[in-house]
Amino acid sequence: MKNKQERSRWEPVKDMMGKREVLIGQHLAHQFTKSPRRILHMMSYYKFAAKLIGKQKNVLDIGCGEGIGTWLLAVECGQANGIDTDSEAIGIGTNNWKDRRISFKCIDLFKMKKKNYDAVVNFDVIEHILPENTYRFFQKISDCLDHDGIAVIGTPNITSDQYASPITKAGHVNLYSGERLEEEMKKYFHHVFLFGANDEVVHTGFLPMAHYLIAVGCRKRKS
Amino acid sequence: MGRQKKTEKEVWNKVKDLMEKKQIKLGPHWSFNLHNDPKRLAFVLSRYKFAAKMGAKNKKVLELGCSEGIGTPILSEFALSYLGVDMDSAAIRAAQRNWSDDNTTFINDDFLGKVYGAFDTVVSLDVVEHIMPSSENLFFETLYKNMSKDGVGIVGTPNVTSSSYASAPSQAGHVNLFDAERLKMMMDKIFHNVFIFGINDEIVHTGFAPMAHYLIAIGCYKKKRILS
Repeated sequence: MKNKQERSRWEPVKDMMGKREVLIGQHLAHQFTKSPRRILHMMSYYKFAAKLIGKQKNVLDIGCGEGIGTWLLAVECGQANGIDTDSEAIGIGTNNWKDRRISFKCIDLFKMKKKNYDAVVNFDVIEHILPENTYRFFQKISDCLDHDGIAVIGTPNITSDQYASPITKAGHVNLYSGERLEEEMKKYFHHVFLFGANDEVVHTGFLPMAHYLIAVGCRKRKS
Repeated sequence: MGRQKKTEKEVWNKVKDLMEKKQIKLGPHWSFNLHNDPKRLAFVLSRYKFAAKMGAKNKKVLELGCSEGIGTPILSEFALSYLGVDMDSAAIRAAQRNWSDDNTTFINDDFLGKVYGAFDTVVSLDVVEHIMPSSENLFFETLYKNMSKDGVGIVGTPNVTSSSYASAPSQAGHVNLFDAERLKMMMDKIFHNVFIFGINDEIVHTGFAPMAHYLIAIGCYKKKRILS
């Protein structure tokens, strides 16, 4: 009897949720299966970025993958465009999130023409970019921003590399320390605020012990 | 056994020899706080640490409302210079007695409307809630005018949503409490970029702002003029 009552209360809750289904593609599914906590870490970085960016902003998410974080940006900030060169990942994002607040494009960052974003978000990309190409990359990020736009750049700390899995290590060609990330960002922004993250906790503690680094740049320099 | 004890003491004495002989005598405000609510020292210092991490290293730092300078060692540790201003003369005397580094100066003054220079970082923690609403514009204007073009402004204040839990002395002094939206709105008048953080205990975070005990706003890229 009691069980029936509880179920009758749960049914309307389910009705309110609707019948939508979200597909998790190959890359995220791999993480979900092998190391589910990484999804949690990544979402917390996106949340941190969204909170700093604020409401009613137009955000570009570079290297958005399947766009699960882009969706968070779209919901929290108002408008998000996700770009990635992986067409399969972009296809999944496009199918999952059909909403006027979000759009995806399979495009190389250097082919992007739009220039006046309020914010650029870029997680787990720079460590895959060869050191000799970082200059062009950061400059292009700066070019995508409005004069008062902000850049939120996240990358694993070089000090955490010794604990990384072989598959992760295989892709990393340009790992940063907190100091080097700040130095690099200072070339393109007047103000750089550096944060560390361990698990889901974003903080300002001793940087060499941070697992992940997040740099926030604002007031871009004239190129 | 006895020999071992002696050895350990010797080791410890060597450690003590490496430390300065300096002692610190807190003023009445912080002596009271430490007696009545010692955990206060932890969360107040954490606010200063966050402020210092956001913009004190190699910077010219101004603190508006420094009281006894409890945050001075953290703000000045890696700073180029530090100037603390407070209208409470007894507090400033305690600050001067305790923090006498070459890069550190204090001024006993009511800072509202005054300009002390063009600073890289202007910090004001637990001050704006004591400023009458009629003077709040002047407070933010003072912040603005003391900042260099590349300056960073850091303002911290208890969340209005936490006021019902505040102690009687705290409540008595608070004449102008802010929620996150109003703090952002005031900072938006002088800065292009404003970031709002919440603090619960010593934890700085970006969680749901109405449940944050304390609010801290970081502003940078100052506007050409203050918006009205």
